[in-house]
Amino acid sequence: MDTKKSEVLQGTLDLMILKTLHALGPLHGFGIARRIEQVSGDILQLNEGTVYTSLLRLQQQGCIAAEWGTSENNRKAKFYSLTRRGQKQLELETENWERISGVIGRVLRLEGER
Amino acid sequence: MNPKWEFKLRTCASRLHVLLRRQDQPDDDFNSEVQQHLQMLTERYVAQGLSKEEAAAAARRQFGNTTLLQEDRRDLQIFPLLEELWHDLRYSLRTLWKARGFAAVSIATLALGIGAATAIFSVIDNVLLAPFPYQGAARMVFPRIHAAQEAQDEGRQGYTSTEVLEFAENNHVFDGITAAKEDLVLYKHGEGTEQLYGAHVTPGTFEFFGLPALHGRLAQPHDYAPGAPPVFVLRYKTWKERFNGDLSVLNKTFVLNGTARTLIGIMPPRFGWYDAEIYIPESLTRAAGLAAGSPEWFLVGRLRPGLSRQQAEADLTLVANRLAKIYPQAYPAHFTVQLRKLGESVIGRFEDTLYTVLAAVGLLLLIACSNVANLMLARATTREKEFALRTALGASRARLVRLLMVESLVLAMAGAALGMFIAWGGVKSLVAGMPQDLIPAETVIALNAPVLMFTLGVAALTPLIFGLLPALQSSRRDLTDPLRDSAKGVGGGFQGRWLRDAVVVGEVALSLTLLIGAGLLMRSFVALRKANLGLRADHVFETAVVLPAERYKKPEQVTGFFRPLLARLKALPGVVDAAESSTLPPYSFDTSKLEIAGKSHQDDWQTLLQTVSEQYFRTLRVELKRGRTFSEEEVNDARKVAVVNQTFVRRYLPSETPLGRRVRLGSLESADPRHDSWFEIIGVAGDVTNNGLQAPVEPEVWIPYTTAGSEGRVLLVRTAQDPSTMMEAVRKEVWAADSGVGLAYPSTLEDRLSKVLYAGPRFGLVLMAIFGCIGLFLVTVGVYSVLAYSTAQKTHEIGIRMALGAEDGEVLRMVVRTGLRLVLAGMAIGVAMSLVLGQLIGAQLKDVTAYDPPTLAATIVLLTMTAAIACWIPARKAARVDPMVALRYE
Repeated sequence: MDTKKSEVLQGTLDLMILKTLHALGPLHGFGIARRIEQVSGDILQLNEGTVYTSLLRLQQQGCIAAEWGTSENNRKAKFYSLTRRGQKQLELETENWERISGVIGRVLRLEGER
Repeated sequence: MNPKWEFKLRTCASRLHVLLRRQDQPDDDFNSEVQQHLQMLTERYVAQGLSKEEAAAAARRQFGNTTLLQEDRRDLQIFPLLEELWHDLRYSLRTLWKARGFAAVSIATLALGIGAATAIFSVIDNVLLAPFPYQGAARMVFPRIHAAQEAQDEGRQGYTSTEVLEFAENNHVFDGITAAKEDLVLYKHGEGTEQLYGAHVTPGTFEFFGLPALHGRLAQPHDYAPGAPPVFVLRYKTWKERFNGDLSVLNKTFVLNGTARTLIGIMPPRFGWYDAEIYIPESLTRAAGLAAGSPEWFLVGRLRPGLSRQQAEADLTLVANRLAKIYPQAYPAHFTVQLRKLGESVIGRFEDTLYTVLAAVGLLLLIACSNVANLMLARATTREKEFALRTALGASRARLVRLLMVESLVLAMAGAALGMFIAWGGVKSLVAGMPQDLIPAETVIALNAPVLMFTLGVAALTPLIFGLLPALQSSRRDLTDPLRDSAKGVGGGFQGRWLRDAVVVGEVALSLTLLIGAGLLMRSFVALRKANLGLRADHVFETAVVLPAERYKKPEQVTGFFRPLLARLKALPGVVDAAESSTLPPYSFDTSKLEIAGKSHQDDWQTLLQTVSEQYFRTLRVELKRGRTFSEEEVNDARKVAVVNQTFVRRYLPSETPLGRRVRLGSLESADPRHDSWFEIIGVAGDVTNNGLQAPVEPEVWIPYTTAGSEGRVLLVRTAQDPSTMMEAVRKEVWAADSGVGLAYPSTLEDRLSKVLYAGPRFGLVLMAIFGCIGLFLVTVGVYSVLAYSTAQKTHEIGIRMALGAEDGEVLRMVVRTGLRLVLAGMAIGVAMSLVLGQLIGAQLKDVTAYDPPTLAATIVLLTMTAAIACWIPARKAARVDPMVALRYE
């Protein structure tokens, strides 16, 4: 495996998808994968297939809704959009993430100061 | 709600949704999405200048493993556990099908246990828990004026209309109250007159019980008002039986006791208040002055929710105390008002029996479970290698236990399904064999929803009893154990062994007790059937005759009706003899104080008294012991002559000549001094059963019916052919004589005797016999399963013995000995138990003692033989063990 790329942390993909949908509005799976790829650049290693399990899980939790529509190149595609519950979940998870990453950051700094 | 939980719930719901939709659609959606994504990735790479193949490969790389993805999706969309369970289920069905013998015996055993429990539970549910279809039936009570000196369950239950009104107005404990009184209604129709058992009911009665009319309407407040157009309401059963369920009878007018009444409604099937056939609305009126009226009303109230019986009794006693001051003659000096639950008098007698039977049935079910547990243990020993292999291939212990539990559940469910059929048949035959009046008229015994829930619950619980222990035990083996065969040589050293043995001993004891009980009841029943009633009951048709009181006041009027009628009946083709009487065997109800001329005594002498026509003794073929019976003249002239039974002579005139003695019958005395009540004994007849079969015959006096009047009479017709065919002819003759005379309860004497005398004992016998047979079957399975298990454990030991030269016969004996030892121990306990229990059923037995040697011997032989067969099968199997096979793995 390419050592420069990081694996997507368990659970963070859900958060990224929620944020993507929050930022860009309704999107299909391919679009979400593109957006994550574009934002992360070459840092993240993503099996794009896992986007779909994530989408399924989020759908089951009621965080997103799906609807068939037509994509920009005139194909039938499933568009996912954020629900109100997803909105709330995103806020919660974002806050959570910031807290945890803050803690981890502090821990790591501690290590560095010694 | 905790969001985490909410997610879980939503996830579950969505999965269920998918499961229910059979997961086809999301599958397609998902695939097309994935395919499209891959295609778009490929197109992008092609656009970047890669070849088609390279582009597709790159796209797949970037996308990841689609097979894994599919699996993830499946895990997300369905319950993996469910899938595995489904797999286990199919697997157990397959293995059980392969072990058909084991499965069949286990299922049959469980079915008997569950079936018996279900049948008895349905009786308990319907009779004890919900006997009445009425609203708030559990709070319905009737009051009783209980005098301090009276026995526990006695007291006045009838009230005057004034009393009813006082209770209704001044109590603080009922939220509803109603009263009813009986009325024997003569119903005149085109052909003649029949008697209906009617009840007068007070305003609000139907609202009190809360059942709507099935057809037509209920009595409304205005129907109760004095002077309102007379109406009545019909019971469902009567409508079906007397009017063939014909709807056109609604709103028709019927002549009831001389009044034209309109039928306004038909009640639903389960409405059976007061066990009446028709309901006549009536308002209560307060008696003026001190005359309280006659206490003919039966009062029922519904307690307010939350009130205790004691509180209510105290309140009603206050009301009654006030009444006692106004009508002192109607109340004892010291009394309290006691409340009894509606139906308690009927159900109470039955309650203890039912709970005892339920306990017995629960025991049977436990025994069935332990039998199946033993069978499973025995089977598990032959499956050791299968389990070892499964463990070696990575199955966890939990997985193995789950597999075995699914097997157990399959057995239990199959057992429950079969058990339901058994229970259905059982309940049907129980109801058919149930003696009359054992349960309230409103009670219907059937398998209903609560019963089904009960059975399902039992079926779900039993695997825990019979399946869990074997499953835990057989999955405990460590991986290498079966390959080493280490512990086999020491076979049978399990701690659980004494428990298994104890179970077998216990079930042998139990089923022996049941069988002995059944045997005793059977012998007693045979004795009952053989018992001499003092008459010949075959070929006799009987019917009650109700003479309208207003036209048959004097004895001469009664005689004037019966004398020509009996002559005409006798002349009918097929009629041998015809007679009339005041009562019928096996019970006489009229008693009289007795004096015998020339005998003085301190204590009260009592005798039963029956008034008959001269042909009575001939018609019933009652044996004449001495003297003669009445002549036609004596009856016609109303001479004061009497025939007494043998018991009368034995008790009151021992070693004296009864003929010619004069007796005085106190109950016939009247104010009229000319009307003397001295009768001369002209004959002695054989004893005819007059107090039921179990009790000894009471002294009885027969006198000509012309000497005393009574409106309730019975016609008896001895016929040459089947007596039931005479019904029409007899009815015609009676109504030809007087179409206003009512007929009731037509039957053959044999049928009625069978209902009155034999139905109860037969019911007990059948119940015991069924439980005895179930017990016997369970014993067979129990002995077999324990021996099968212990021999399976000892296969290795047996192999060594045989290799060392033991004969087949020795092995056989060894196994049979093990089994019979248990059986004998059980039988010893069983005999002891039945001797104790025999004292309890002793009162029901006739001509048989509780330790009847033939019964004991027969049941012991039966049980021993059954047990021997149960031993024989595993013993034979053990004797056929091939030493080479048994020792192969050494």
